[in-house]
Amino acid sequence: MAERALAEFVAEANEILETLGRDLLVLDTQRGRDADPDLLNAVFRAAHSLKGLSSMFGQDRISALAHVTEDVLDSLRLGKIALDDTVLDALVEALDGLQALLRESSSGEETPEVAERGLQLTQRLKEIAGGSVSVIVDVLDAIGLDPAIRNVFTEYEEHRLRENVKKGVGVWKVRAVFALDDFDQRLTTLNNALKPLGEVVSTLPSSQPGQENSIAFDLIFATSRAKTEIDAVVSEGIAVTPLASPLSPTAMTQTVPPPTASYPMAVPASSSPSPLASAPSGPRSESSLRSLTQTVRVDIERLDALMTSIGELLLIRSNIQRLTENATAGQITKQWLSQLQRETRGLERRLDELQNGVLEARMVPLGQVFDKLARLMRRLVRESGKEVDFIVAGGDVELDKLIVEELSDPLMHLLRNALDHGVESPMVRQAHGKLGRGRIRLAAEPRGNQVVITVGDDGAGMDESRIRQVAVERGLVTQEQTGEMDRRELLNLVFLAGFSTREEVSNMSGRGVGLDVVKTNLGRLAGLIDIDSRRGEGTDFILTLPLTLAIIRALIVQSARQTYAVPLNSVLEIVSVRTAQIQTIERREVFEVRGSTLPLVRLSKVFGLREDARDSWFVIVIGIAQQRIGLAVDALVGQQDIVTKPFTGRLQRVPGIAGATDLGDRRPVLVLDVAALMEELIRPQGTGAPGIGDAR
Amino acid sequence: MTTFASLLERFLYRPDEPTGPFFELVPDSGAEPPAAPAETPEEFLSFLLENETYAVPLGAVREILKIAAITPVPRADASLVGIMNVRGDVLPVFDVKPTLRLSEAAIEAEAFTPTRQQRVIVVRDLQGDVGLLVDSVTGVVKLMLSKLEAAPPSRGEKHAIAGLARREGKLFILLDVEQVLS
Repeated sequence: MAERALAEFVAEANEILETLGRDLLVLDTQRGRDADPDLLNAVFRAAHSLKGLSSMFGQDRISALAHVTEDVLDSLRLGKIALDDTVLDALVEALDGLQALLRESSSGEETPEVAERGLQLTQRLKEIAGGSVSVIVDVLDAIGLDPAIRNVFTEYEEHRLRENVKKGVGVWKVRAVFALDDFDQRLTTLNNALKPLGEVVSTLPSSQPGQENSIAFDLIFATSRAKTEIDAVVSEGIAVTPLASPLSPTAMTQTVPPPTASYPMAVPASSSPSPLASAPSGPRSESSLRSLTQTVRVDIERLDALMTSIGELLLIRSNIQRLTENATAGQITKQWLSQLQRETRGLERRLDELQNGVLEARMVPLGQVFDKLARLMRRLVRESGKEVDFIVAGGDVELDKLIVEELSDPLMHLLRNALDHGVESPMVRQAHGKLGRGRIRLAAEPRGNQVVITVGDDGAGMDESRIRQVAVERGLVTQEQTGEMDRRELLNLVFLAGFSTREEVSNMSGRGVGLDVVKTNLGRLAGLIDIDSRRGEGTDFILTLPLTLAIIRALIVQSARQTYAVPLNSVLEIVSVRTAQIQTIERREVFEVRGSTLPLVRLSKVFGLREDARDSWFVIVIGIAQQRIGLAVDALVGQQDIVTKPFTGRLQRVPGIAGATDLGDRRPVLVLDVAALMEELIRPQGTGAPGIGDAR
Repeated sequence: MTTFASLLERFLYRPDEPTGPFFELVPDSGAEPPAAPAETPEEFLSFLLENETYAVPLGAVREILKIAAITPVPRADASLVGIMNVRGDVLPVFDVKPTLRLSEAAIEAEAFTPTRQQRVIVVRDLQGDVGLLVDSVTGVVKLMLSKLEAAPPSRGEKHAIAGLARREGKLFILLDVEQVLS
């Protein structure tokens, strides 16, 4: 398949799967109840379009699995099978399977494991879809419906009618005659009017011909309301006649089979793999939740606004062109100058608009990744055997597409961690007087130019003495060092590489690669992570992220004749300190700012640059979480919006530097990675924490 | 002759300045003896490092840049001179002389003032584009791969030399870029 066609297929299939996933989650909340027929239909249609799409592109593996999924959904909406745990699990797994297949289609590498999983799923879904039961006593026979009408119903319409009749709802025929030129609108109006009262089961062209230039419809309408109420909502000239009366209570008991008889488990237990056994443990849970495509959907209105700005820019360009011509002709006057100034101001304003517009276009709601995480959590919770409610909030908060994508893996890790290490088993919880059902929360909220994402559990909280013990055992710190640390510093030890507290390795987390990776990933996004843990009450991981990586405001500074950019979001204040005011504690330099003593680090020293003797320094106070530190530089150049080019390839591992930018003179300027620098300076390798960095 | 000149021009960032008397080094295709039609010679870009002539396959070279402002990167690999801005992208520039034992230590970008002949050769490998700082670019040379000599045992720790070639009395040292930067 041509590369481009494949990319389009993947993008579209991906979108369908995302919708499917979202709808399945809603269905999941309706388990045990009667599922919303509109929702079931939507899910069915999604599977149907995926089937069509993939067979059109020759993606037979996807098309085959989509086909059986569609069958199961069809049986569901026709009421042949009930929406129980088995079916829901199978559907969620089918979705995962489809995603795995799509991932392979997109990368072009087909592995036997995924193919095998596809086949297993296909088999399982076939069994479920096949396990239909016919309703023994048809309630429709009991209400005396005109066979002429009944025969034109589709299987689905008949099923919906049957469902309504079973509930003891009356069936009406609503006859409407509309003129040919606007019947579609009027039919929609009628449908909308009827919907709040009941269900329009079917819309049939009337068997009795209407007048000339008009068309007649019979709407089969099921409602528990009285005729007067129906008459009240329909416009004049529309006839409402009873088609079948509600069933009498006695008829109900006779005709409606008990639910167990009507909906036996679709699959015999022996032949169906249980959800637990069928979930392969290792590699699957490791697969990334990043989306397969790099596309962003943009509202056409946003593009129109950009287009307008560009139009204005073109205007400015021609004005400037004219001014240039005047200048070459030697007509530089006062008026000429003021015109040039006006055009420059206009240019600035339009460029700002353009910049904001493009940034806005890059924003996507966090819900994109939250939905995927919710699906994953649903499965993980079932596999873990714990009882956990997963609560998601703030899915509508928008962030740069790049950040949202990069966030999925760290969040997945934190959630696994919360489930595995945070929430206790129901028995332990009850012993501590808590509800047996635990709670894991994933919430996002905007805060100024940043977004704060919290991953919290209501588990046992973190045990700092246990953390200390493990960190010492693993040789990450010495006993003496831990003696000097406060609780917060001890908690932060979990972010060190090679730290993992649980003895047994679970298939979800606890592989020893863990929170350190989360922290590194966040650092790349210019994000910060902090822990808030209360013993016996739970743990929150708090992630602070910038809205966008594309353009940030930075402080431009100089140190040892080199220029650096410091992202302003971590700068608290700037003070001027004379060399004489710098004191030392255990040979470490400190300075005083409004009564509190903070560690002082000279940037030139950190970077091993030759520094000149100087009388005074500019000290940039940077703060992350509760930590404060002063970074001494020689001079301040100013503030500027910068676009950071991250270091890749051979440059990736330079500590303390996030990337480079260009301030306009084509000379690259290094952008400091404040979080990494801070980390390194607060707790240098092999020495204890200075402790004075704490602002509390 | 003109074909080589135009070939070179394609690789020069700003071909407005002559880069040295490299035309003598370019074999005259008319004088090529038609004795060995079985093998077509490969094209290499040759350049000088401390008066030794090195060469890399022309196909690996993306472009040749004049030296613009280089910003040093503290705490990076010692052979990294710094980074250069190439049309908005960051290009790491390396000094391979210390690795080849041609100098004691890499150039420090802070104190670095390029000569008129110095260039950066941009080579793409698996880890992205890298720039090699060279004393001057001498030209394109055609070399028979079958006539390569093995490199003498290296004094350095790395086997940065892929082989040796001679042409018209001149020695070309073929550089293994991947190795020299690893």
